[in-house]
Amino acid sequence: MTDLTASAAIQGPRSQSKRRGLLRSLQSAIGLVVIFILALIVGPRSSSGGLVFLESGNITDILRQVSEIGVIALGMTLVILTAGIDLSVGSILALSSSIVAVVLTHSDGTSLWVIAWAITAAAGASLLIGLLNGVVIARWRIQPFIVTLAAMIGVRGLARWLTSNTNIDIGFGQDLAATFAQSLSTKLVVIGSYACLSVILYVLLSKTVLGRQVRAIGDNEKAALYAGLPISKIKILVYGMAGLLAGYAGVLHAAQNHQGSPNAGMSYELEAIAAVVIGGTSLAGGQGSIGGTLIGTLIMGVLTNILRLNNIDSNLEMMLKAVIIVAAVWIQKRGRDQG
Amino acid sequence: MKLSLLKIAVVVVLTIAGAGCRSNEHAGAKQYFVAFSQCNNAEPYRAAQNALMEKSFAVAGNVRLVIADAQQDNSKQIAQIEGFIRQKPDLLIVAPNERAPLTEVMGRAMAAGIPVICLERDITQPNYSTFVGADNLAIGKMAGQLIVEELTKRKGNPAGNVVELRGLLGVEAEMERYQGAHDVLKTYPNIHFVHEAVADWLQSNGRDRMLEILRAEPKIDVVYGHNDPMAIGAYLAAHDLNRHNQMIFIGIDGLGGPAGGVKKVMDGVLTATFYYPLCADKAAEVGLRMLQESGFKPDHQYILQPKLINTQNAAEMYKQLSF
Repeated sequence: MTDLTASAAIQGPRSQSKRRGLLRSLQSAIGLVVIFILALIVGPRSSSGGLVFLESGNITDILRQVSEIGVIALGMTLVILTAGIDLSVGSILALSSSIVAVVLTHSDGTSLWVIAWAITAAAGASLLIGLLNGVVIARWRIQPFIVTLAAMIGVRGLARWLTSNTNIDIGFGQDLAATFAQSLSTKLVVIGSYACLSVILYVLLSKTVLGRQVRAIGDNEKAALYAGLPISKIKILVYGMAGLLAGYAGVLHAAQNHQGSPNAGMSYELEAIAAVVIGGTSLAGGQGSIGGTLIGTLIMGVLTNILRLNNIDSNLEMMLKAVIIVAAVWIQKRGRDQG
Repeated sequence: MKLSLLKIAVVVVLTIAGAGCRSNEHAGAKQYFVAFSQCNNAEPYRAAQNALMEKSFAVAGNVRLVIADAQQDNSKQIAQIEGFIRQKPDLLIVAPNERAPLTEVMGRAMAAGIPVICLERDITQPNYSTFVGADNLAIGKMAGQLIVEELTKRKGNPAGNVVELRGLLGVEAEMERYQGAHDVLKTYPNIHFVHEAVADWLQSNGRDRMLEILRAEPKIDVVYGHNDPMAIGAYLAAHDLNRHNQMIFIGIDGLGGPAGGVKKVMDGVLTATFYYPLCADKAAEVGLRMLQESGFKPDHQYILQPKLINTQNAAEMYKQLSF
């Protein structure tokens, strides 16, 4: 019986959901292509006549600009696949960026180990908060929305308390903090690490048992439970990873902005959720992919870029984005209903 | 479904293309493209700054001014400036959201050969052609001096209880407006800061904090708000408890228009406010010279002076500041 249910929970929907997942990724990819073509049509031209949008500098600008939300969205994908949500990631980003800046500006050492220690401290704290989210959600069985809402408020407070409400600037001189900012804010590091993390999460989700278990929980938690999956452990792990990834985004944020700020990352959780949803991941859990999230992130990034290159009013930008979010999900829903 | 999709696509294309087309409207005479990266349109001071900027450049007649709103977000402002660098404007004006985060990208604009005017908030390295700003520390000191004068006028000697409503902590303007006043008042032992509260620049918070303070402090002579809305909020709270005649209210910013501080001085709500220069007119003046006069080299910085607004000059200032 257990074996049967196990295969129903894990093996059964696998090939089916794979097909469906592929279809949804394809739809999102078409969306990205459409926006890309749009960018080619309406994008401004430089004085030499070339398309500004296609300049390599502009393309890497886009990738760099989406990287923080992109990294957060990777973790958010896992969380949403378990039918959960994580509202605390923006606050965790703020805490992480603050911790990095505090450690860097308060240590007298000159060795590069201080930088390593600062990053470890920030990532460690973020991981810990993520794990704590997971423990409360899994063991105490409180809804993820409530738990992470509380964490969003509490962690923001913690970050502000830690920094006495001030932003901690990282200078441009010769000190360690400046070295940290200059080396971690290069496009190579920012885009490169975003790409690496994407590949790791992709492999984790589509090629490992854990990935299948994550989907199984979101698809049907009861079935997964009867199938003997360690649900609590998996959930704790997933929220821990979401926290860790938000923490890493915070490290990138501090480096790129030359500043640790307790007010950073406001509403980043919502932008990440939007990217995940546009990428075809269902808020009901179980269905979705890292590839889709990457595409969703890029759709938002390319759209923002093309609107700004055309100097579109930022209020109009917000309204357009709202339309795109709803349209994307509606199209996917139509596709699902028909398929 | 396909039809609806098409509709959405058409609307999107038309909106973007429509907005994009504006760039080619004046192909004939020498047109200048001026890009202005504003840190946060939602603040009244910034909105007034935008309006004055538009008005000042419109006078020239051959300038296309584009204002981008960073919505108080450093990352967003960096991205916007990166977008402007790709568009190569003839002049870039930046009102930085914060010092350190914007310094590097403004350097990149300079490196790309774009003249940059840094507006109102200085950055950590001089990555600009010129800086146009005003002095918050001076405003704080003027406010402190005014408190001394008003208390002396009312009580015969400089003594009394002062309540201070502070803006968002950690913001430079807040720190300097605080420091300036305290620098002056610390030499007067009989003037006491009996209560200070953080009201984040907001009128609603000013009112809430003041209600609490009024419950706690039976004797208040002066309320010093780091901006006009907080001071006005405090007045509303005191008015609720019918204690508004026992104290005076002093604000900062001195914006024009019906909701601004100058009108409130005319109405007798505020005893005085300080005009904190919008800087946009000076920036436009210097910017136009940079564009049109080939040999013109701007000063390293232009620091504009604040101005006291009281019942004597409020009506005149109101006229000046309405645009």
